[in-house]
This record gives sequence, C-alpha cells and structure tokens, in this order.
Amino acid sequence: MKAFALATMLAVGALGLAACGGQGAAGAKFEPANPGTLTVVTAFVPAPGFWEGRPPTKGFEAGLADALAHRFGLKRVLVLQQPFASIIRGKLGGADLALSQLTPTKAREQYVDFTTPYLTAPPGILARLDVRARDVHGLKALHWVVSRTSTLTPILMDTIRPDADPVETVDRTQALKVLRAGRADALLLDLPVALALARSEPERFHVLGQISGGEGLAAALPKGSHNREIVDSAIRGLTANGTIGKLTSRWLGKSTGDVPLILTER
Amino acid sequence: MTAMTMLFSIQAPSGTVLEFLVLFTVILLGPVVFNRLGLPGLIGLVIGGFLIGPHGVDLIGAGNQTVPELGKLGLLYLMFVAGLELDLRVLQEYRRAAGTFGLIGFVVPFSLGLCIGFVLGWSLPATCLLGALLSSHTLIVYPTIRDAGLGQNPAIASAVGATVLTDTLALIVLAVVAGTQTGSGSVYLILLEIALGLAVLMFVALAALPRVVDLALRRWGSDRVARYVVIIVALLSMAALAEVFEIEGIVGAFFAGLALNRLVPNEGASMERIEFFGAAVFIPVFLVSIGLLLDPSVMFTGHTLGLAALMIAAALGGKGVACWLAGPLFGFSGLERLGMYVLTIPQAAATLAVSLIGFEIGVFGTSVVNAVLVLILFSILAAAFLAQQVVERLPAHDGARPLGSRVLIVTSSPTGPPDATVRIATLLARPDGGHSDLLIIRSHADPPIESMALKAVEKRILRHGFDGRVRTAVATFDDAVSESMHTDASLVIVDEPTFATVPGRVPVLVLEDGAGEEDVFRVIADGEVDERVVEEIRGRLTGSDRWTIPRLRRGRVGV
Repeated sequence: MKAFALATMLAVGALGLAACGGQGAAGAKFEPANPGTLTVVTAFVPAPGFWEGRPPTKGFEAGLADALAHRFGLKRVLVLQQPFASIIRGKLGGADLALSQLTPTKAREQYVDFTTPYLTAPPGILARLDVRARDVHGLKALHWVVSRTSTLTPILMDTIRPDADPVETVDRTQALKVLRAGRADALLLDLPVALALARSEPERFHVLGQISGGEGLAAALPKGSHNREIVDSAIRGLTANGTIGKLTSRWLGKSTGDVPLILTER
Repeated sequence: MTAMTMLFSIQAPSGTVLEFLVLFTVILLGPVVFNRLGLPGLIGLVIGGFLIGPHGVDLIGAGNQTVPELGKLGLLYLMFVAGLELDLRVLQEYRRAAGTFGLIGFVVPFSLGLCIGFVLGWSLPATCLLGALLSSHTLIVYPTIRDAGLGQNPAIASAVGATVLTDTLALIVLAVVAGTQTGSGSVYLILLEIALGLAVLMFVALAALPRVVDLALRRWGSDRVARYVVIIVALLSMAALAEVFEIEGIVGAFFAGLALNRLVPNEGASMERIEFFGAAVFIPVFLVSIGLLLDPSVMFTGHTLGLAALMIAAALGGKGVACWLAGPLFGFSGLERLGMYVLTIPQAAATLAVSLIGFEIGVFGTSVVNAVLVLILFSILAAAFLAQQVVERLPAHDGARPLGSRVLIVTSSPTGPPDATVRIATLLARPDGGHSDLLIIRSHADPPIESMALKAVEKRILRHGFDGRVRTAVATFDDAVSESMHTDASLVIVDEPTFATVPGRVPVLVLEDGAGEEDVFRVIADGEVDERVVEEIRGRLTGSDRWTIPRLRRGRVGV
C-alpha cells in the first residue's frame, strides 16, 4: 500500500508538469511554408458558416484554422483563395493546407493528402422552405439540382433515383442559384454545408434530412507533406477537447446527429 | 425479360453487412494463419485489420465509424478482462515483494520513457504517456508459466501481483494526461476533478460494486444470460462513472475488473462466458480496429523504426533493470529473476489502450502508434521465446494450494445440496478467487437424473454465488471423495452428516446438524491438515451471510 502511495505521488508529480505542458503531438513537428504563419487555402469565400466576413476571419473553418495555428505555436493565419478544381488537383498556391469543405475521395487522393475528417458529412438534403418530404418516395418526387463536380451526384442517382431528370449545373454556386430561383426543389450537399446554408438563409432554405453514407470533411495537404501527421493529430486533439464541437454549434447551428435520417433503399 | 431484369438488378454487396462479413472473416482467419506460422494470433488480427483497412485493400474505409466504435467497446472489454484475470490473492500473499517490484517495475521504464520523450523534444503530455505506455505490461505468458507448475514460485507470484500495481499506475497516468488534454477549464480544477474521480472509482470498486453485483447475481443470477448481462452492466457503469469525471472509460473498466475479481472466479463458468465473448468478438474487433491504423508507409520509415527501437530498449531494458534490482531484495535467484522478466516484458493490453487513447486525443501521431505495434510484436515474441527457457530450467514449485481454489460439493440428493451448503462453498472459494463445482452421485439402482432436473438444480444454486459446473456420476460418497483427490479439488464439501472416511491430502468438510443453537462442521483430513484449516474455514464463514448460514460457528478436526 505504501509502495502504491509512493508511486502514485511520483506519477502525479510528473503529471503535474505534464498538465502544465503544451498540447503538441509526439512524433512530428509542424513546418510552416511561411515562418510564424499558418497559410490556408480555400475555394469559396464567403462560404456561409465556414468562411465569413471580409477578410474571411469568421466561420467554422476560419475558427479551425485559428485553433490549428494556436496548437502549432504560430502567430498568424493567412488565407488564400484558389478555385475548387485547382485545390482538388493539388494546386494549393503554396499554402500549408486547404480548408474548403473537402470530402476525401480516391481520385482526389492522387493529388493531395487528406487528414482525418474534422466533421462527419453524410449527404444532407437542402430544400426550399416550402418543400416537404418524409421518406424516400417523397424524395423521388422532388425536382433536384446537381453539380457536375460534386461527389454526391452519384449517390443521388443510386440511392434516391429521382423520378425526373435533375437539373445539371457546373458547380455548387450555380446549383444554389437554381434552387434560389425556384427552378428546383432540393440539392444534395455535405450535411454540414447544408446546415450552414440553411442557417444563413433561413427565409429560403431548410434541411429536410440526411441519408446514410458519406465520409467527412477533411483538410487537404500538398501530396507528401511532412506536416500530415501533426495536422492529423491536431485535428484529433481539437475533436477530443471539444473545440470542434464548439465551432460546430456556433457556426453550423445543429450537430449532424440532430438532423433526421431518411432511410433509402441501399 | 424478367430474368434479365433480375440479373441486372444484382448488385455488389456493400454497407454494414459487407463490413461485418469482412471483419469476422479476418477474426476467423487472422489467428489461424499466424498460429500456423508460429506467431501469436493477436498479431494476425492486427495485420488482418491493416489488410482490410484504408492502407490495405480499403474494404473498411478511413471514414468508417462502425469498426472503430465496436473497437472502443472491445477496448473497454479488454481492460475489464485484464483487471478480472489478475490474481488478487497473490498480491495479498506476496504484498511486500509484489509492491516493491511493482513500484520499481513502474518507475524504471516510466523514467526511461520520460528521458526518450525529453530527448526527442516531445510535449510533456506525450512524454508522460510514453512513460505510462512503457511501464505497463500484460501477463500473456503467465498461462505457460503456471501450467509448468511455477505459479506458486514466490518470484513468479510477486511478478503477477506487481502487475496490479504497475497497470493501475499506468492507467492513472493515462487518466491524468487524457483528462488535462480533453478537459476544459483550469488545469488545477481538472487535476482536482480527476483526483476526486479516481478516489470515487476506487471506493466504488472496493466497497460498493462487489456488494451490488453480488446482490444482483443472487437476485437474477439463476439465469446464465442475466448473469453475463449483470457483469456487462457493471463494466459499463464503471466506464461511464469514470467519464463523468473526465477520466477515460478504460480506467473505469479496469477498476470494474478488479472489483469483480473475486465474484467471477478465473476458472468459473461466468469467466468462461466472458472469455468466450471477449475472444470471439470484442477483443478481436478492437485488435482489427488497431490494424486499421497500421500504415506501412509510416511504419517502415527510419523515423518510426528508430522510435520503435528506442521503445523496445526502454521497455525491455527498464523491466530488466527492475527485475535485477528487486530480485536480490527478496533473495530471488537469477533464474527466478528471469522468470519475473519474462512475465513483465510483454506489452499488449494496457500498452495498446494507452497508445490508442493517446492517438485519439491527438497526443500521439501515426508514427508512434506504428512504433508501438512493433514494440508489442517484439515484446511478445521475446517473452514467448524466453518463457520456454524458464519453463525448462526453473524447477516446479510445489507450494500449498489455496484452500478455496476449487471447492467440490458432493451430494446424493437429486435435487442438489441445500442453499446454505452452496453459499458456504462460495464463501470459502471467493477469498482465493476460486470457484465451486457440484457432483451429484447416485447408485446403479437409482434412475438417471434428467437434464431438466439438473438445469433446475443449477438455476437454484446459481443464485447463491455458485459459479461452476454441475455433473452427475454413479458412485458412492467414498468413491467420489476418493476420486476428487486425484483431480485438482482443493476442498471437498460432503453433503452427508455421517461421512467419516479419511480421504487423503485434500481436506473434507462435513456439515452437521447442530443439536443446540449452533450448527457445526467437521474437517476430515490426514496429518498435513490441522486446526489451522478449521480456523481458516471458521474465519471465512464467520460474520458473513448470517441470514443464510445462521449458526455455523463451531468446528473441529474430525480425524
């Protein structure tokens, strides 16, 4: 018993020091592209809920960039903008990482390295405020708009199988225009993105529900970046200590778990 | 046309069912293949996890939640079983040697871990967690050592007892580091909360949980499924209680194992079920989920392999130093110290737990987890090799068997022994972490006992803490008692007041009806068993369960 007490005191002594220590991860060190600065690239500015304000310093991904910089002991965050198509082709414009509501896919992994997801992102149904559907039959009957570059378009065609051919657009911005104009009822988006859009335009949109599937939104780093391990650890750390949870409630309004699940055939 | 439509509607399997199929195929084949190669099955599960994972053929993708979530339950289960399997009787019997060795065995590798962390420039939380990871150990080779008759060797027993201490300390370190990394608010408040949480956990584990679970087993324990579920509820309650205080659930799970250690004897039927579900589902799923993290592009780099080499040197070297420091203090020979070393070098359960939690809270990166996997593989292989040397060279130790390690009740009643007899057997077995079995004997002339009747007996006696097997035999009391001498029974309780045959080395307890206020018991044995056994029995029965065995206070040696 004495031995146990002594060892506990020793351990607690060491841990007192540990508790006062930093939050860095073992096994890697962050090497910024620009000294003292975390350089982040994104495609959509402003992106409601994710990058807001001019300059874009507010929003979920802006907050995440700040938290990452703090964790790596960097004093500044520099935000660059690049077209989405360039980012997923690995052209990050010299940034350390991209935070641009990116879903990891095998095709994209040829050009960039993805971190562990910071948000779970099942497909979410963003619909005009007057549109209602409670099950997959209701979803089939809707008029859909899809983006050619979205990874969610095949999911719509496979799992919901709309009765009418969807309106096809070049990207998300155009798809939203179609929805706003009332030329379509609904758009399938990553759920956190749908939640943020519904929150920013509550008089126009609401989230009808989510369907199962999808992986998550992750940060992307240049292919072969030495920073991948430490960014990965930092995202897990920010998830574990509740930082990402707080950013979600602040900027996305609801947690993805609060959105009703609509069962589909697969 | 219809056939063609059907043909086109056939789709490749996908979703949760396919994931489970892949998962359980790995659980089936991983250990089989690796055992054939002479390697531990658990390595097969980890490698299998890698093969199906995002760095392998990607059948279980990086975003998959099912397997890691199931793996978390497996981790709780693993730590629970680790606590449950520890031999607390040994810790009590060899507390001085076990305590000293446990302390040195924790401090030396922990300090080496701190040194490595500081040299590599890790953060303090990561450094402390590395120390905790290296200081813990798992008694993987203990069955081999025990089966060779070395379990009662004081050096071996001390190493077994020391495991309780080292693993508890490692988990305390984990609790504090994880708590300070994930909690919000002032560091001192978090530390206070964790200290309070650990005190509450220890109180509940030592005082409340065993009593509550004992009551629950007596209330619902007649059904084996309910027994198992009571135990699982206890495990999850402790894990949830730990999380209330921002302590990792596995710490609560480990304490739950320690709390139920004596209620769930290692060789009893409940333990058999716990081990069955653990071995078939929960623990393999956890190991496969660890394999999902294995990344050859990270593992086979100079950085990771160098880190693994440092960890191996610190863990195996630290445990070696601890054995060579603690051994002479208690007069253990070089070979006995090797035995202690063999027992304390394997890194598995607590090491995996600490590294996975460290990974999840962002303190450890992928390279550390991959290095830990190399450490685990190396330590298990080294221990398995050295264990053979110890078994071959260290003479078997013929120590006295604990009185309650296996109690056999013999009765001729087809309806089983009275409740009080079953409860007495339980109370005698429990302090030694033992269990009781029941043998119902009958003569050739008696009809065989039907299985339904046997189940009814079993159902009744399970409510009195009985946790063993019920069997029948055509025999007399003399035959049955005599035969039990050749098996591994440590005490025989005969449900026949007139029984008087001298059996041999194993003591026989005969319960008699008392004429006055007190029931009495007789102990029959040969010269090696004396009044001390009577005192031991009286001590274990006195003050317990007054409502079940009201007047059993007086005993004497019959022969």
